[in-house]
Amino acid sequence: MAKTIFLVDDSTTILLSVSSILGKAGYAVEKAANAEEALRKFNSGVKVDLLITDLNMPGMNGIELIKKVRSLTAYRFLPILFLTTESQQSRKAEAKAAGASGWIVKPATADDLLNTIKLVLK
Amino acid sequence: MDELTSTFVTESRDQLLAMEDGLLKLEQAPDDASNLGAIFRAAHTIKGGAGVVECHYIEAFTHKVENVLDKLRNGEIPVSSELSTVLLECCDHLGALLDALANGLPQPEAAVQQRGDALLAELSRKFLGEDAAGGALPVEHEADLAASGGGIVVTDAWHISLRFGPGVLKNGTDPLSFLHYLTSLGEIIALTTLADAMPGAAQMDPECCYLGFELRFQTRASKAQIESVFDFVRDECTLHILPPNSKIEEYLKLIDQLPEDSMRLGEILVRSGALTQSELEAGLAAQSGAAAAGEMAAPPPIGEILVGQKVVHKEIVEAAANRQAAVNEKKAGEARMIRVHADKLDQLIDLVGELVIAGAGTSLLAQRSGYSELVESTSVLRRLVEDIRDSALQLRMVQIGETFNRFNRVVRDGSRELGKSIDLLITGAETELDKSVVEKLGDPLMHLVRNAIDHGIETPAVRAQRGKPENGTVQLNAYHDSGSVVIEVIDDGGGLPKEKIRAKAIERGLLDPAATLTEHEIINLIFEAGFSTADQVTNISGRGVGMDVVRRNIQGLRGSVEVSTNEGQGSTFTVRLPLTLAIIDGFLTGVGKAAYVVPLESVVECIELTETTAGRNYLNLRGEVLPFVRLRELFEIGGEVPARQNVVIVHYAGRKAGLVVDTLLGEFQTVIKPLGVLFRHLRGIGGSTILGSGEVALILDVPALVGLVGSSEERRLAAPRRETALTP
Repeated sequence: MAKTIFLVDDSTTILLSVSSILGKAGYAVEKAANAEEALRKFNSGVKVDLLITDLNMPGMNGIELIKKVRSLTAYRFLPILFLTTESQQSRKAEAKAAGASGWIVKPATADDLLNTIKLVLK
Repeated sequence: MDELTSTFVTESRDQLLAMEDGLLKLEQAPDDASNLGAIFRAAHTIKGGAGVVECHYIEAFTHKVENVLDKLRNGEIPVSSELSTVLLECCDHLGALLDALANGLPQPEAAVQQRGDALLAELSRKFLGEDAAGGALPVEHEADLAASGGGIVVTDAWHISLRFGPGVLKNGTDPLSFLHYLTSLGEIIALTTLADAMPGAAQMDPECCYLGFELRFQTRASKAQIESVFDFVRDECTLHILPPNSKIEEYLKLIDQLPEDSMRLGEILVRSGALTQSELEAGLAAQSGAAAAGEMAAPPPIGEILVGQKVVHKEIVEAAANRQAAVNEKKAGEARMIRVHADKLDQLIDLVGELVIAGAGTSLLAQRSGYSELVESTSVLRRLVEDIRDSALQLRMVQIGETFNRFNRVVRDGSRELGKSIDLLITGAETELDKSVVEKLGDPLMHLVRNAIDHGIETPAVRAQRGKPENGTVQLNAYHDSGSVVIEVIDDGGGLPKEKIRAKAIERGLLDPAATLTEHEIINLIFEAGFSTADQVTNISGRGVGMDVVRRNIQGLRGSVEVSTNEGQGSTFTVRLPLTLAIIDGFLTGVGKAAYVVPLESVVECIELTETTAGRNYLNLRGEVLPFVRLRELFEIGGEVPARQNVVIVHYAGRKAGLVVDTLLGEFQTVIKPLGVLFRHLRGIGGSTILGSGEVALILDVPALVGLVGSSEERRLAAPRRETALTP
C-alpha cells in the first residue's frame, strides 16, 4: 500500500508543488495549510507514515506542532521532517529537540526531497 | 500559465496585501513583534514560492527585501518613515513583477527592471550598508546530492562504525532506514550488528535503541556524502568513518575509542575483511607495548582526525523570542479555506435559484391538490430548499475588511501628497457582503474616500484655525441594518457648503431657483450628473463627474447613497446595499390581477385599510403619521376597488411608508430577474420574478417607493401653503 505523507505548509505554492512531486513518486498525500488544522487531523487519528511540516507558519508554528504530535501516543514514533532554510540553524536544533526526525533544506529539488524521504521512510 | 504558477501568483498577491497592511501598521506600532513577524513571513513565503516556480527575478528581489526585513526584525535597523516608504514601493514593484510573471514574460520589462534595480540599490545603500553594486545576488544553488549507483569497483571499502543513541526511535527515526538508504549510495559488503549496549531484560526500555553497527561499504561517494546520510542522527549517535586504505593505526585507534571489548571488535574487523588477523595482532601488540613503555610520554600520536569527530555543532538554542509572536495573528488566517472558482459558485447559485422556483411551483400544486400529506412533505422540502439557499448564498459572502484595508494606503499616500495629516479609522471590517457587491463597491468607495481626503479634510493650518485637532480623521464603518449592509464614509472636515451647492445647482440648471428644498435634498444634489464644487481639480479626487458615477454604480447594486453634513463639522456619506443580489425572501401581494413582491426584510407589519383613511394619503398608526401610496393608483391598475384593502408597512433607512394593496398572499422566495434596459427608467419596480404558477410578478423597489412617499410629504411640510413645482 502506498505510504501516506502528511504535508503542512501555509504556502499554497509549496503545498501544491511538493504534493505533486510526492504524488508522482507514488505517495499518498494528506495536506493542511496550518498547524491547527494538522493537529486536528492528528487528534482524529489520521493514518500517515510521515509528517513534513514548515516551521514558519501563522498561528501555531511548526515546532509547537512537532512537540504536540510527538506527545500523542499514536505518533510517538512517526517520522517527522521539517522544512527549513540554510539560514535557520538555530531553529533546526530547536525543531530537533522538539522531536523532529530530520529536515529538508529549502529550496530543494525533487530528488533532494525524495531522497530525504527515503532516508526516514523504509 | 501552468496551475502552479497561477497559484503562486494568487497566493503572492494575498501575501503582498498582508505585507502592505503590516508595513502600514509598522509606523504606528514599530515595536509590534507579531506584526514584524507577519511582514517577514509574507516576504519569506513569496520568496519560497518564487523558488519553487523558478521565477528568479522575483526570488532575487524578494531575497533582498527579506534581508532588510530580517535586520528590522532583529532590531539592527530602526523603523522609519523612509524605510516603510521604500518597502511599500518594493511591494508595488513586487506586484509589477508578479504581473510580469502572470503575463508569461521571461524577464520584466526594462522600465520595471530599472525601477527594481533602483529600489535594490536604495535598500542596499541605506539599510544594508552595502555597496549599491550589490544589486544582483547569487541565486541559492541547489544542493548537489548526486545519486551514485553501485557497481563501480573501488579498490577497497569504507569502514563505518555506528552506535545509535538511545533516543533515535523516539524521534521517529528508524536505524534500519539509514542502512537501507546507504545502499542507494553503494553496496554494504559486510555488516555486524552489535547489541552489547543492551541491558538486561528488566532494565531494558523497548522504546530505546541499543544497537550499533560495524559495516564495510563500497561506494564512490565522498566522505561528506556518506556523512550526510547520518545528518539527522549525528547529534545522538557515534559515527566513525574510515576511508578506504586507511592506515592500520587508524583502525586500532577506532577500536580503542569504541566502548566494546577490543578483542571482540578486532574479530569483527577481521571477519568483515577490514584487517587481516596478523595485522590486528601486530597492531594490538605494538600498541600495548607502546602504552607500557611510555606511561610518562605523551599519548599516542593522533593520526588523521576522524571525520566523524569533526562535526561542528553550530546550533545554539536561540532565545525563543518570536515563538509566541504569531499567536495573536488574526483568526481569519486560521480558518480553513478552500479556493473555489467564482464561476462555480455562480453556477451553484443559479441552480439554487431554479430550485427555489421549482420548489414554489411544487408547493403550489400540492396546496391545490388539497392532499395534506403531500402539502406537509413539500413544506419540509421547501424549508430544506430555504436552508440550501441560505448556505449557498453564504458561500459568496466575503468580509469587507480587505476592501477597506486598501484605503490605508490611499489615505496615507493621499494625505502626504496634499500635505495633510489624516488618520483612517475602520470599524466593522468583519461585516460580510456578497462578493460581487464587494467587487463593484471598490470604485465608488475609492471616490468617496478620495473626496473626503481632498475636499473634506482641511489643511492642518485651517484646522488649527478652526480649533480642530490637526490630524483629520476619515472613518470607514460597515454594519448590518435590517437586511441591508450600511457603509459609511465619515470625515471630520469642513462639511458640505449648503449655499454653495444650491447656488451651483441653480447655475448649472439643475435646480429651479424658486424651488423649496429641504437641507437634505440640497446637499444630495451633489449626486446629480455634472456637478462639482471643487475650485481646484486635483488628481486625488475626480473632475466633477465623480459623485453621479458613484450614485449610478451603487444604484446598479440595488443600493442607495446619501450624504448628510454639518457645516464645519464634517460629512457622512451613507451607502446602503442589499445583502445579496440573487435571491430574496419576498412578501407576495396582489393588486387587481397583478402580483407584486415586497422584499420581506423591509416589511414591518400589515394592517387593514380602514374607511376613515379614504381620500387621504396618510393614516394614524398608533399615534404616528404614516404616509402611504396606493399601488392601484401609482401603477394605474384598472378594475373594481375591493371592499377590503390592506396596507403593507415597509421601512427603509429609518423611514416608514405604507403600500396599499388588495390582497396579502404571504411569504414567497424570490429569484430576482433584472428588468431589461427598456425598463430602466421605471420607478418603483426593482425587478421581476416567476411565480410557482409560471406567472410573472414584479418586485417592488422599496427604497424608491419610500423615497417617493417621503419626499412628497416632506415637501408638503416644507411649503405648507404652496404646491411645490418639481424640477425636472
